[in-house]
Amino acid sequence: MSDYQVVIIGGGATGVGILRDLSMRGVSALLLEQGDLAHGTSSRFHGLLHSGARYAVKDPESATECIDENLILKKIAPHCISNTGGWFVQTQDDPPDYVEQWIKACAEAHIPIREISPSEAYRKEPLMSKSVLRVFEVPDATVDGFKIVWANAKSARRYGGQYKTYHQVERLVMEKERVVGVVTKNLLNGEEIMVGCDIVVNAAGAWASLVAGSIDIPLDVICDKGTLLAFNQRLFQRVINRLRPSGDGDIFVPHETITILGTTSQFVDSPQENDPNEEEVKKLLQIGEQVLPNLTKYRVIRAFSGVRPLHREDHDVPGVNVPGINKEEGRNVSRSFVLIDHGVHNGVQGFISIVGGKFTTYRLMAEKVSDWVAEKLGNMTPCRTATEDLLPEIPENLWKKAAQLLPYAPVGKMLERLQEDTESVLGEIQRDPRKGQMLCECEMVSMAEVEKTAADEDTHHLADIRRKTRLGMGTCQGAYCTYRALPLLWKRQEKYDAIEDELRDFLNQRWKGIRPILWGQQLRETELTRAIYASILQVRG
Amino acid sequence: MWDGIIIGGGLAGLLAGIRASERGKHILIISEGVGSLTYSSGALDFGDAGQLLNQENHPYALLGETSIRAGMDYFQRLFPDYQGKWGVTQNLLTPLGSPRKASIVPYGQNAESLQDARRIVLMAPDGMKDFFPEIIKTNLERSYPQCVVEVYPFRVGAFESWHAIGKSVTGMEYAKYWQSGPGISELKRVLNCLTMIFDGEVSSKKNETAVLFPGIATAFSDPLKEILSETPFPVIEMTAFPPSASGHNLYCALKQKFKSLGGELLFGTGVQRIELQGKLCDKAIVKSKGRYTAFSARSFILATGGIFGGGIEVTPEAAQETVLGLPLYVPAELTNSEFLGEQPYAHMGIEVDSELRPTGPGNKEVLFENLRVIGRMLAHWDPWTDNCGGGVSLATGWFAGEKL
Repeated sequence: MSDYQVVIIGGGATGVGILRDLSMRGVSALLLEQGDLAHGTSSRFHGLLHSGARYAVKDPESATECIDENLILKKIAPHCISNTGGWFVQTQDDPPDYVEQWIKACAEAHIPIREISPSEAYRKEPLMSKSVLRVFEVPDATVDGFKIVWANAKSARRYGGQYKTYHQVERLVMEKERVVGVVTKNLLNGEEIMVGCDIVVNAAGAWASLVAGSIDIPLDVICDKGTLLAFNQRLFQRVINRLRPSGDGDIFVPHETITILGTTSQFVDSPQENDPNEEEVKKLLQIGEQVLPNLTKYRVIRAFSGVRPLHREDHDVPGVNVPGINKEEGRNVSRSFVLIDHGVHNGVQGFISIVGGKFTTYRLMAEKVSDWVAEKLGNMTPCRTATEDLLPEIPENLWKKAAQLLPYAPVGKMLERLQEDTESVLGEIQRDPRKGQMLCECEMVSMAEVEKTAADEDTHHLADIRRKTRLGMGTCQGAYCTYRALPLLWKRQEKYDAIEDELRDFLNQRWKGIRPILWGQQLRETELTRAIYASILQVRG
Repeated sequence: MWDGIIIGGGLAGLLAGIRASERGKHILIISEGVGSLTYSSGALDFGDAGQLLNQENHPYALLGETSIRAGMDYFQRLFPDYQGKWGVTQNLLTPLGSPRKASIVPYGQNAESLQDARRIVLMAPDGMKDFFPEIIKTNLERSYPQCVVEVYPFRVGAFESWHAIGKSVTGMEYAKYWQSGPGISELKRVLNCLTMIFDGEVSSKKNETAVLFPGIATAFSDPLKEILSETPFPVIEMTAFPPSASGHNLYCALKQKFKSLGGELLFGTGVQRIELQGKLCDKAIVKSKGRYTAFSARSFILATGGIFGGGIEVTPEAAQETVLGLPLYVPAELTNSEFLGEQPYAHMGIEVDSELRPTGPGNKEVLFENLRVIGRMLAHWDPWTDNCGGGVSLATGWFAGEKL
């Protein structure tokens, strides 16, 4: 007897996308995630919603997928996306013969491009280097990874889907060449449980080979570490790409009041190797300078790294003998995704892995997996994720009420994050207007919202509150808001580690991204943070 | 021509200015900012002097015990509201109600009497920002297991309009209020209420009660000291989450003292550069209202506050001393993974001889005969792990003021 029809392993964009898709089709599904939702690669990228132009020349299949999904997501998830548009700019350092090749490839992939004159470009982006040669506009956009993952999870839950965070999969349970369940360990209390199911979907991203490895199925997933920088201001109004074969440090992506510059690419041995280092930071700044002169003068808030899970098929294996291919370059591996039916490949039924791909195509990946699962289960309901809105419409009166109770700027952000939970948070603010104050002043998160999030049953650490609300992600990197969140954790102390431990862990996580960018104003901020916690509060390292 | 120009008006710079002025010197302090005392607890740490005096290159080791003690004594002579003894630490409370130690503590912050109490009454002013009575209560119960801890919420009429719109009142705001005329009357009323409540209780209970009063800063205020010395129970302050009234009051007291001794302060503009004459500093060049002005002096003191104060600027390529471009000690590895543990970058600073004069990189050759470097600008110490922020600033400030 199965507990669920499907168990999905991995709570990144793909996993929650599958959970939502299956739940909408009426399939009972449980998602297991070893940490918090979106703690892995889905929140550690530049937040670029690709138009596909970046892949047009080298990977036309990916390019087509991207432009299709780009249009779909803009329609179904407008609250997670900012339709900034994007440019591809050719600098003097870029190969001149690439342009024509790129224009042709974009046309073939049906990616609309439009050339604009450099003079118009300088007017629109005054910080851009005055020596760019050609500029093309593409339908790039920016996307909030956290928001889209949580929106999927919430939507899935409305359709009956379930997820458990901080549940690590220990092993898959086999019965005669067939997967019939998984054993999962609750990392918060150490409890192991067995969940029976008909199908297991491995959507663990960079961790996928570990999952398959638990039943000795080899799965070649390359861990490709990418490091990015977050600047403290909106340097550009739109996404700026370099018009050249994709390389390090050639994308600037603006998000609200910050800008992300990415990305490096380096193979690593495990998904845990996600510490940004100084060398990567220097490289990014150096290349970024070619598009934005004097880049080092602008304040960097932090550096962060994600590990891309790339799938390598045999013919893709970059060998030392293949001319022109650098063995260390993750970009030479296809960015397309692969669905592996382990019944066909390894003789193990009821088990499928989805590997590779990228954030922009998460919905398509979920659709393909769900189609496969539905077919196996004899479920004939078609996929609706390409047309149904991800976020339920926010009622007018809720907007009005929120706008009365809170400063204008945080209202929309709160509504989009909290959705139907907004009502109770606004009720709290009405009851005690002090809870309408901004607990996190950098990211403008109200006390009432943090209180509610701290009390959520799937919030277990201060870092979970951060991912759900953006608390501590702004300029001060937790100097003030960490302290201010303490009484709210305290109220729910049965759920959290001792307050000093939560505090120390949180500050250490923030520190990881500051260490490689320790200069200028962020270094001064660091001194203040150490003064507050080490001296005034006497918290010891 | 000034006898001395001090660049930087924080704790070290002001103390140096006060000592030199007291010795009859004509002193100008030029300060771009307002120092960082307002970000501090107001109490001053001297750390484990025995150990730090033996730590190679540490400012304590350069100056020696006599000077460190002289700095401590001098400061207390200046400000009798600050109390402490060499080699003795006092107990006080963090903003979260955990016990901590410090060497020189402003009047009212000493929490020693909690040791003898059987009951702690925690005053909880309504809507005070960054003040968490439930956490404090639990921390107190843990540290003083012999005590019952009671929270006493109260509301102050003066802030009703703040409460009505849901705006919290900062500790600074409360402290300012308690020092005002209406605040003093209100404080008397609140304390009388407490006295009456305690009077109704059995005598053993009332005699063993200590009252914790956050958001008040008694030091430097005679009316407050008087009121609090008349209560039948000890009233203890708590250190504050920044900004802190205690730290700010100390800063104001230092400035006032300096001015009363004839010192002059130029605020809001930094020194752009120093004009030199051979191995001597000659003129400080200041830019103000679009014009450059030169101030000449016989001696100079650099007290620009290190990284946080703006005296050291770090770029991705290098670290730089901002006024003279003095050579800096920069450790090879800057950081460790444990944020609140040892951080080598904090040891960045200027290396000096035993007279606090800057020396050349890798040798002990004095770079400028009439320049001394004090406070956070010095190399080879970390206020947060050595717990000696107050000690280094007072000792080096006193020393430089004495020698000028």
